[in-house]
Amino acid sequence: MALVSADSRIAELLTELHQLIKQTQEERSRSEHNLVNIQKTHERMQTENKISPYYRTKLRGLYTTAKADAEAECNILRKALDKIAEIKSLLEERRIAAKIAGLYNDSEPPRKTMRRGVLMTLLQQSAMTLPLWIGKPGDKPPPLCGAIPASGDYVARPGDKVAARVKAVDGDEQWILAEVVSYSHATNKRHTLSRRRVIPLPQWKANPETDPEALFQKEQLVLALYPQTTCFYRALIHAPPQRPQDDYSVLFEDTSYADGYSPPLNVAQRYVVACKEPKKK
Amino acid sequence: MSELKDCPLQFHDFKSVDHLKVCPRYTAVLARSEDDGIGIEELDTLQLELETLLSSASRRLRVLEAETQILTDWQDKKGDRRFLKLGRDHELGAPPKHGKPKKQKLEGKAGHGPGPGPGRPKSKNLQPKIQEYEFTDDPIDVPRIPKNDAPNRFWASVEPYCADITSEEVRTLEELLKPPEDEAEHYKIPPLGKHYSQRWAQEDLLEEQKDGARAAAVADKKKGLMGPLTELDTKDVDALLKKSEAQHEQPEDGCPFGALTQRLLQALVEDSPIPDMSGKESGADGASTSPRNQNKPFSVPHTKSLESRIKEELIAQGLLESEDRPAEDSEDEVLAELRKRQAELKALSAHNRTKKHDLLRLAKEEVSRQELRQRVRMADNEVMDAFRKIMAARQKKRTPTKKEKDQAWKTLKERESILKLLDG
Repeated sequence: MALVSADSRIAELLTELHQLIKQTQEERSRSEHNLVNIQKTHERMQTENKISPYYRTKLRGLYTTAKADAEAECNILRKALDKIAEIKSLLEERRIAAKIAGLYNDSEPPRKTMRRGVLMTLLQQSAMTLPLWIGKPGDKPPPLCGAIPASGDYVARPGDKVAARVKAVDGDEQWILAEVVSYSHATNKRHTLSRRRVIPLPQWKANPETDPEALFQKEQLVLALYPQTTCFYRALIHAPPQRPQDDYSVLFEDTSYADGYSPPLNVAQRYVVACKEPKKK
Repeated sequence: MSELKDCPLQFHDFKSVDHLKVCPRYTAVLARSEDDGIGIEELDTLQLELETLLSSASRRLRVLEAETQILTDWQDKKGDRRFLKLGRDHELGAPPKHGKPKKQKLEGKAGHGPGPGPGRPKSKNLQPKIQEYEFTDDPIDVPRIPKNDAPNRFWASVEPYCADITSEEVRTLEELLKPPEDEAEHYKIPPLGKHYSQRWAQEDLLEEQKDGARAAAVADKKKGLMGPLTELDTKDVDALLKKSEAQHEQPEDGCPFGALTQRLLQALVEDSPIPDMSGKESGADGASTSPRNQNKPFSVPHTKSLESRIKEELIAQGLLESEDRPAEDSEDEVLAELRKRQAELKALSAHNRTKKHDLLRLAKEEVSRQELRQRVRMADNEVMDAFRKIMAARQKKRTPTKKEKDQAWKTLKERESILKLLDG
């Protein structure tokens, strides 16, 4: 069965990942030594208070070695992260396959609705594990990283999370969190939407330390997911994240408060998208 | 050896992430053996930790690259300066025991990449132009803003026009004026040479004779009779030619005598002139017209001199007004053209001469003014010195002494007088 092969594959990948991690650590301990050398040279140069050509050459040599080490370390780490992504996608496939299989096999109808708490945890986790974009020096953050919008002809793949504008029964339009099942195919009880009404959520987190330009800035208007719900509302950025794992701090437009805005609330990077909507009527 | 404060490097703290504290899951995984493996539920946390490690490593990489770049450029500048000083040989001023590794490093760097490349040609470019700024340039040049060269180039290009006039230049001008010794030569009109038809005929005849002589020489080699034959020189050739010409001319003209001679004879003789009859009846000077000489060809120059003598006599008698010489010239187009050109040349050279005179005069004036300006500059310096002394005195909170004041006044007055000279 597909499930079994998927399992064994996953097991394989896990082993490989383990190896990679071990390699990483070796690499890091090796480069540790060089870094200590650099540190010592710095100190000596600073105490002697002059830069001789000897020191400059030595430093240059040390820097070059450190660079090579850092590059090697980055490479292995990237490989490890890719491996994790692979495993995750396999897991995802397995989940979907299991769901479909379950539909056919099971007698009782599968739970279509989850408990709210479970859903929230799931959302939280998904937000946290959004891969962080760490570019090589000279790389620019790609589209759908942080605040960088999708390219014009981007087509959302099945399984992608998006923010979708749907019309509720009472005629009210709302942006909700949705998962793409398929692109412009109609199925009953699912929403069929034109592309304009769908905004793909970011696929990577932007790293504030390396790519601050890929983040939304203060006072920018965005659509953010209200905590503990699955709806997007208009909000103003209060503060961008400081570290890769941090959240945006946003002020939601809320007429129930005096100044029209809620107190700052934290929303993960994954659930903040640019707002294209004109002023709400 | 430069001071630490000159060093553009920032001594970053390169410490790797302490994974024991920050990445516990990572550490735990490391501790496990292969058999235990990683659990699926650990993937998320692992991912986060690996991301942290990766971001710190890539940050480190970026900083290292920036620092090496700064170091390379800085080294480049210093290295180039030494190159310039030692005439571009590869030995740097570094202490000998470090010479080799440094040389290798530099060569490695030269083979390297775009990084040192743009730094080097730029510093080489600056070197020949701005040598005196070398020492101050070093720390400032680090941000590598391209230096604005345009004003320097502009002033360099304008320099020849604004520079002071040297005595050498005045001397050159005077020499230029000296001139026209060889002018007379240029204005001489060479006399009319032999007409080209004559000359060519002459040359052709010579050629033929030479050929003939050569042929005869070939035939009579052994007999040695060549001598007289081959020594026909131009005089004989001329005579031959003239004879042949005379023979040719006679039938054309019918009368070898000049126009005036003919008219005179016509006037003196009633009947239509028959050359031999008129020759007989005149019986006058130029007896070579007697019929018995008919058969012999008349020599042309003779009739020409007869013609000119008659003309002169007629003019002296007042019977013929002296014709304008230029009548002769008007037929000679080349001569006319030549004279025109000579007139032009004369006018032009006169114009040039006046201009050169003016220039010389102005140059001399300017030289004297330059001297004055120099004196003004020196006076300026003196005034500035006096000023500085007074300022120093004032700073020390004491009034300047009478001596200083006097000196200041004196220098000021001097300067003013020079200025007046200059302007006046």
